[in-house]
Amino acid sequence: MESFFDRYRNLIVLLAILLVQIMGLAVQVRRTSEGRSTLDPRDSSGVRLIRLWANALVSPPERIIHSTGLGAGHLWQNYLDLRHVRQQNQELQKTIDRLRLEQASLLEDARQGQRLQALNKFQEKYIYKTVAAQAIGSSGSELSHVFYIDKGSDDGVARDNAVITPDGIVGKVREVLGGHSAQVLAVNDQTSGAGVILETTRIRGILRGNAFGQLEIVDILADKRIQKGEVVLTAGGDQIFPRGLPVGTVDKVVPDPERDSFIVVMITPAAHLDRLDEVLVVTSTEPRFSTEQQQDIATSEEVKGSEAAAIKEQQKASQIMAERLPGLIDPKLPPDQQPLYDNSNPIPVAHPPQALHPDRFTPGNAPGPVPDAASETAPDANAAQPDSGAKPTEQKPASKPSTPKQPGQSAPRVQPQSQKNPPGGTN
Amino acid sequence: MPLLGADLRRNTEIRRYPILAYALVPLAALVLQAWLPRVLGSWAWFDLPLVVTVYFALDRRSPIQGTLMGAAMGLFEDALSHHAIGVNGIAKTVVGFLAASIGVRIDVENHTIRLVMNFLLTLLSSGIVVFVSRFLLGLDYEWQWYTAIFSAIGNSLIALVLFPLLDRLEIRD
Repeated sequence: MESFFDRYRNLIVLLAILLVQIMGLAVQVRRTSEGRSTLDPRDSSGVRLIRLWANALVSPPERIIHSTGLGAGHLWQNYLDLRHVRQQNQELQKTIDRLRLEQASLLEDARQGQRLQALNKFQEKYIYKTVAAQAIGSSGSELSHVFYIDKGSDDGVARDNAVITPDGIVGKVREVLGGHSAQVLAVNDQTSGAGVILETTRIRGILRGNAFGQLEIVDILADKRIQKGEVVLTAGGDQIFPRGLPVGTVDKVVPDPERDSFIVVMITPAAHLDRLDEVLVVTSTEPRFSTEQQQDIATSEEVKGSEAAAIKEQQKASQIMAERLPGLIDPKLPPDQQPLYDNSNPIPVAHPPQALHPDRFTPGNAPGPVPDAASETAPDANAAQPDSGAKPTEQKPASKPSTPKQPGQSAPRVQPQSQKNPPGGTN
Repeated sequence: MPLLGADLRRNTEIRRYPILAYALVPLAALVLQAWLPRVLGSWAWFDLPLVVTVYFALDRRSPIQGTLMGAAMGLFEDALSHHAIGVNGIAKTVVGFLAASIGVRIDVENHTIRLVMNFLLTLLSSGIVVFVSRFLLGLDYEWQWYTAIFSAIGNSLIALVLFPLLDRLEIRD
């Protein structure tokens, strides 16, 4: 009798394998606080190990293909050439094939040289520390926009490093797979995200990829100012991409199908995300300055240091002086005998020149009491009296009853000199 | 009687290949699948590991071998992506099992049957991926039906070229 396991062996194996994989999936998915299922952004050790193995198996052949320059385009072109020429002439085919190979190889070398030159120039002027890397492979799935680069932890590449080109941003390092390999999550993947800002309207949003592999900005309220062709830059708030890097240009604006009054801005990427060769990995966001800039900074620091030292010395000297000098206020002395008592008028008073031939118009020589006139001229006289200063001792306030103080009139200013005298004294 | 016929056919028509072919052909498919999209950009509408899985499953006519090969290829593809490991694994496991089970009952030499098989199994694989991602795992997973159609067409066309080439690797008595 055929046993149960023999009879359903195929089905049992199938179910066992499926069950194992389903259990493995259940371990990798977790619930968010919002109740949504999501993949753990950081792989567990087991998952990471599987990815490392897969990468270790695929990367070497990819490197060989890349380093030898056996591109699919070359192979396809050579195959067609061989078929075509074989029909015409065998000898000519070899010559043409060799020449075309050389030409294609040289052209490719020249193009690569130009690209590297442009990359190098960009890297030189770029203020952050970057590492040039080569894209060597992809995930192979149109639903997973990741690719692999030939730089890893040995080159300073770390998780969440920004990956850019001179044209624009590309993605971020998702996983470092050893010393010379890393996985990069492109910005057009559905799970990617970056903070961006529209250059002219200064509207901020979140950049992500959609199911078509296109870039779009979400979480933007409808705004008619957003026009096609507007440049989109990184906002710098995501702690991954430095601020101000080009992202792309606005392609079109469509309503958000899920939320009213919100729009989705479709973006034409600045970088050629489909065909990447050389990229730059931003390994450090610390400013990197040239030798000249560093010298300027050092000089500036020295100057600032010497100025600070001089100010400090001055402060120290004034402090010592203040300790050694007598106090500004002596509590034992009356106010008018304090060391720094200042009885001078802080505002210098312009004294009129002394008259050579004094007459009745000379200040202080006013005629006898004329009630009406005195009442009019008294203020002037009073005002001029302290200013005259010519003959202070000749002033006889008591003999001038005709100059009573008018109500509301301000008190005559006391001559500074008289302040030194005792009240009522004439010195 | 049909079962007996199938067993007889399986025993008499099982194809055998060099051991290296079992190792190198899947590896080459995985490497090319990882490398070609970088060259072809968004025109890479194919799934070479799936084509290879279908080929060996059809020709070996062993559901267990087809299941194991599909699982291995799918898990490998998942490992190269940033998605959960197992989504493609489950899809290709089922495809390998079905291809081997069907291969017992049909003429796998026929080009039309190969073309149709690849088309349908690719669609099935895409459907399982969507089912597992959206319904089994509850992930927020966007999917476009026409990508599955294009991939199915691409796989069918590649199979038409690739299967005869792989047939040459067969060990003949």
